[in-house]
Amino acid sequence: MWIKDMLDVCGKELRKTVSDVGVLVFFIVVPLLYPLLYAYLYGREVVHEVPVVAVDDCRSTTSREFLRKSDATPDLRIISYCSDMEEARNLLHRHKAYGVIYIPSDLDRTLQEGRQATINLYCDMSGLLYYKAMLSGCTMVSLEMNRDIQMVRLSGMSDREKEVMTMPIENEYVTMFNPTNGFQGFLIPAVLILVLQQTLVLGVAMMAGTEEERRRRGELVLGHEYDNPITVLGGKALAYLLVYGLTATYVLCVVPWLFHMPQLWKLPTLVTFVIPFLLASIFFAISISFFVRDRESCFLLFVFVSVPLIFMSGISWPTSNMPAFWRVFAQIFPSTQGVNGFARINTTGALLQDVRYELIALWIQTAAYFMISLFIYERLYRSDKMPGIEFVLAMRARARRNVRNVRVAVRDIRSDIEEAAERMRGRRKK
Amino acid sequence: MSGKSGFWAIVKRESSRMYSRPLYGLSMVFAPLFCFIFFTTLMKEGLPESLPAGVVDEDNTAVSRSIIRNLDSYQQTEIVRQYSNFAEAREAMQRNEIYGFFYIPRGTQDKASSQEQPKISIYTNATYLIPSSLLYRDMKTMAVMASAAVGREVLTARGANMDQAMGFLQPIKMDMHALGNPWLNYNVYLSNTMLPAVLVLMVLMVTCFSIHSELKDGTAGKWMEMAGDNVLKAVSAKLFPQTVVFSFMALVYIVILYGYLGFPANNGLWPMLLAAQLLILASQGFAVFIASAIPSLRWSLSLCTLWGVLSIPISGFSFPVMGMPEALQALSYLFPLRYYFLIYVDQALNGIPMVYSAWFYTALVAFLILPLVDISLLRKAAHEYTYLP
Repeated sequence: MWIKDMLDVCGKELRKTVSDVGVLVFFIVVPLLYPLLYAYLYGREVVHEVPVVAVDDCRSTTSREFLRKSDATPDLRIISYCSDMEEARNLLHRHKAYGVIYIPSDLDRTLQEGRQATINLYCDMSGLLYYKAMLSGCTMVSLEMNRDIQMVRLSGMSDREKEVMTMPIENEYVTMFNPTNGFQGFLIPAVLILVLQQTLVLGVAMMAGTEEERRRRGELVLGHEYDNPITVLGGKALAYLLVYGLTATYVLCVVPWLFHMPQLWKLPTLVTFVIPFLLASIFFAISISFFVRDRESCFLLFVFVSVPLIFMSGISWPTSNMPAFWRVFAQIFPSTQGVNGFARINTTGALLQDVRYELIALWIQTAAYFMISLFIYERLYRSDKMPGIEFVLAMRARARRNVRNVRVAVRDIRSDIEEAAERMRGRRKK
Repeated sequence: MSGKSGFWAIVKRESSRMYSRPLYGLSMVFAPLFCFIFFTTLMKEGLPESLPAGVVDEDNTAVSRSIIRNLDSYQQTEIVRQYSNFAEAREAMQRNEIYGFFYIPRGTQDKASSQEQPKISIYTNATYLIPSSLLYRDMKTMAVMASAAVGREVLTARGANMDQAMGFLQPIKMDMHALGNPWLNYNVYLSNTMLPAVLVLMVLMVTCFSIHSELKDGTAGKWMEMAGDNVLKAVSAKLFPQTVVFSFMALVYIVILYGYLGFPANNGLWPMLLAAQLLILASQGFAVFIASAIPSLRWSLSLCTLWGVLSIPISGFSFPVMGMPEALQALSYLFPLRYYFLIYVDQALNGIPMVYSAWFYTALVAFLILPLVDISLLRKAAHEYTYLP
């Protein structure tokens, strides 16, 4: 009975998981703690009170008012008033401040003449958030002061008239779905999905590496007692799915709740989306785990991938502006669809029809990675060898052969050239 | 046994160990190289252009059409579609077709010309922070301009000239100077730290892995013997070939960033080359420290990995360290990448005298000599160690 076999394999796999501390760390401890660390790291969402210095060459009531109001914004904090730019620059260089507000001496005169006056801002570009804080803080102050200046100039009119005169069309800004416009709301959903996929890959690869080590020692580890590789594969996948059902519930539901992040999902939508994501990740993990030869090499092979993967998802640099090659390449990884789908379901309250593309892509990935793992597993089943390593070694042999061929070709060409040169020289002598 | 032959014998032994396993080639050359190419080509535009945005134009008048036309002419915004109502635009945003939209309600032009102060609205999807902020900037400018255009008309109708009109509409103007990166180039901003970050991650892991696999494979006794039981010599000889390979990879990214892509290196290449070289050595030093302190391959490798991955956010290049909780601010001093990042800001971006960065260079050197504290533990482990899975 294949169902009985599958459950049998599933049970054995679960027992193996529980008894292996290394795998448990990946399956339970990392997903438990790592998201908390990240949420804690970005918990303050935006930077407040960026230290800046002021250089006031005007020293008038207007300039002092501007600086006082800038200091009072939540974005900026004036830590020092410098007598010249040289002094201000020195503070920048010593990382005491991240920007300079420079008010030129002609500010008052220009305003009195009714012309446009300029205030210069200099910003350290080691972080874009400093730039953002400085721009938004000073712009806010300048808008407010501009309105006051205009009011004074229009002193003959009624208040309503003045308002219309100064701002004929009003505008308002709404940041949808991430109300604080902060880092946590934008980066954490991506980190959560990536943690799920990567811990699965690392854990599964670690188990595969352990098996391979035992195989090299001559121990028989494959489920030879089962006739059908599909049951073995299915049983394993079922075991991982059971574990990750719990892990994913914690990571995707509890963590955002703990940190008071927006959670607009509807349960059926979330479940329908997360199941194919987990399945795709599981078979993806099984497929690439065949390349691992020992227990610990999964660290070296798969951890660094997380860094490009988070960018491939398009959560940071927009997908619409990626080179076509990377946009297509990103489609192989479940995390790309996972991040985009989850971010929108969780943060924007998207429904299934809104993430249709991601959902279909995840099912295609599930099917594809299932076929790949089945193919490799079947060969493994018959030959008791590591097809992944065979492949790498074959590629390396071929590369070496190619290098040798190129070397021979270069030598040939060089001797041809030398011959030709010889002939030329001979001809010149004649 | 002569000292020199011992050292070079271990170097030779390590080189052939590295050569015989594809794992080393993959993690020391392929992985960093892949990331170098990935990051620099991914953001080759520098600043995203033509971000897809939408418009809900319920007014449909000359004023609203001119707003849309002008908005579309901005380099960073591309109006991909007009939606007939708010709900449709919001759904398009949920489907990720647009990153933001402009909402012009019915009666905008009428109200503006009868001086009733209509309101237009900007909506962006802040789930995608970068495109959202960039779209906001364009749309906000456009909204202010549209308002100013109406105001200007009124003023010029009353006989003011252009200069006077601008002096009235916006008496004080902000002029923003982005020091070192005036283009607001994201590639400069991200790649300058992401590339070394990946390299640091690989150095930490490979160093720890290669030391502990001697213990695991039971070859550590032989290794120590070759070094005359001098653990310092054993470790430095073993890591020497890795230092060479990683330093070469560091050179590769320096050449890519400051040579090929021409990113600002305002003090020339030498300060950055020195920083990159010290970063490699500091990371190796830190990994040896961990590998000696924790006598378990998996646990020490886990810690090195955690350190490598965590150094990316904690170096403070995307979210500033000053915005983090105090405990993490203190922790950031324990990451070599943090010092490298500070050196990069001083030496490449701002081009200030090297004395200002002297402490950061010193800190990297400190990481290199850190293993002197506990390396004797490694010698003990080499003789008595048993592998635990």
